[in-house]
Amino acid sequence: MQREDKKKPAMEVRGLYFSYGKNKVLRDASFTIEEGEITTIMGANGCGKSTLFNLMTKNLCPRKGNIFLWGRNIQNLALKEFARKVSIVHQYNTSADDITVERLVSFGRTPHMKMMQARSQEDEEKIRWAMEVTNVETYRDREVGRLSGGQRQRVWIAMALAQSTKILFLDEPTTYLDIRYQIEILELVQRLNREYGITIIMVLHDINQAIHYSDRIIGLKDGRVAAWGAPGEIITPECIRELYGISLDVTNVEGKKFVLTV
Amino acid sequence: MSEEKMTVPEEARRMDQSRKKKKTARAALSFLILGVLLAALVFASINIGSLQVSFGELMRGLFVERIENVAAIYDLRFPRIVISLFAGAAVAVAGVLFQAVLKNPLADPGIIGISSGASFAAVLVTAFLPALYFFTPLFAFGGGVLAFFLVYSLSWKGGLSPLRIILTGVAVSAMFSGLSDALNSMTGGSSSGVASIVEGNITQKTWEDVQTLLPYVIVGLVLAVLFSKMCNLMTLEDKTARGLGVNVNLMRILISLVAVLLASISTAVAGAVSFLGLIVPHIGRILVGSDHRALVPFSMLAGAFTFLLADTIGRTVAAPYEVSASIIMSVIGGPFFIILLRRSKKYAA
Repeated sequence: MQREDKKKPAMEVRGLYFSYGKNKVLRDASFTIEEGEITTIMGANGCGKSTLFNLMTKNLCPRKGNIFLWGRNIQNLALKEFARKVSIVHQYNTSADDITVERLVSFGRTPHMKMMQARSQEDEEKIRWAMEVTNVETYRDREVGRLSGGQRQRVWIAMALAQSTKILFLDEPTTYLDIRYQIEILELVQRLNREYGITIIMVLHDINQAIHYSDRIIGLKDGRVAAWGAPGEIITPECIRELYGISLDVTNVEGKKFVLTV
Repeated sequence: MSEEKMTVPEEARRMDQSRKKKKTARAALSFLILGVLLAALVFASINIGSLQVSFGELMRGLFVERIENVAAIYDLRFPRIVISLFAGAAVAVAGVLFQAVLKNPLADPGIIGISSGASFAAVLVTAFLPALYFFTPLFAFGGGVLAFFLVYSLSWKGGLSPLRIILTGVAVSAMFSGLSDALNSMTGGSSSGVASIVEGNITQKTWEDVQTLLPYVIVGLVLAVLFSKMCNLMTLEDKTARGLGVNVNLMRILISLVAVLLASISTAVAGAVSFLGLIVPHIGRILVGSDHRALVPFSMLAGAFTFLLADTIGRTVAAPYEVSASIIMSVIGGPFFIILLRRSKKYAA
């Protein structure tokens, strides 16, 4: 677990506890998210990754412990201020069917606008940029209800990008998509990170996708951080057994690790 | 994208744009036609009954000189027409707001019990505290808030299922209606002031009632317009809206209070009306789309139109006897509600 001390951590999670009633979901989870990296949270069902995601995105409040965003405790940040620094694409999204792509993406500007204000030049530019990066500009005037699943997911990402934040959270962004759209979304996520320097924190189910698209992996087991580090270093058969309770082979193909999931 | 490769992107973009234009045109046309129909209906309604005046006479009578017939119509029919218009607008907009914040297209102030809560409170005041008659709208608002609180908290189970809200609402509504009916019977039945609230009878309304209704309704409608942008955000998932910096829970409470205000005040003056807050927004979505910046104003006009139409039909269909607008609305609205239930996939599970 090396830390590059030059870079300030974008987020820091310290001694996080959370429980639903008597069911302890997180116990003493601590880790840091480095700026400019893609960090993936993974683990078996019920390991606490959704809870962790909700805590880090201010949808839940920790029982104990703190989460810092560039050194500031997020509990002391107003929702609006938080939304100017962090954008989130949730797993499940709904909208009116007849809203156009462009209108939906423009919702991303909400934290930067006053309630009665019209869009500024900057708003327009950010909206346009977000649609172009995600490749949805072509159908900006189309109703969201007429898009395919993969297109729709890119529109939700575009909405988050219109927030123009340095940190982007994605909760299982590939879940409802077939493999082609999955790769397309992951390539997009990687591009956002590499080209635009956006710090990415996401939850992924697919182990191999996590390995290949992440700079760092946080493996959760029973609410604790059981593995933390670069995927090339930490992914071993032992680690997989620890996280998922199953023995799987790990092979190397051209210097890249693959977990044989069958 | 496979879909995009089939048509040239430019071609697809043009098709999208022309679709969008068509929709905008349809919305504008809908507003226009509705405006014309509303004006025509108001004039027709002024003229339906034993007294009749021409348009010229009416204008002269109202703004230039005193004309006996016009003066009589002004005192007898105008209050009722104005009340119909504003009560209709209020109930329809209340429906739109409830549907937005409860994410439930079936939420209607009548069905989910707000109107009966408000009505019961109004009945209580009329029966036991007649001295406070002037404050009836405020008590009605209190009753509406109570009903909303009951429905909201009783149907909350880790989330709000559309169906559970409706079922709880039906129960709460039945309870309050029962209480109102009981009070009505205990205080002497159909001739009392209590009965006029229970039955939604607006025959005897005067300009005083208009004055009671108007300020609250206007405040509520203005607030609804101001909140319309927020309503658009509320239709997203709660988490998503929160991610955009929206304090979802606070907004839900505030917008609900505006909706309860509108529904309760109109109930206090014009009686409980079911289905109006359901039918009007539903048709509005088809004609002007689900953007609340258009839907709220449209529902205002369409609600006013529908209520006045129901009231006008009610007083002509069996003249000289009158059928109240709320009864007409129930007769039309019931089947409409069933059609909605059958056609929609969303509420089935």
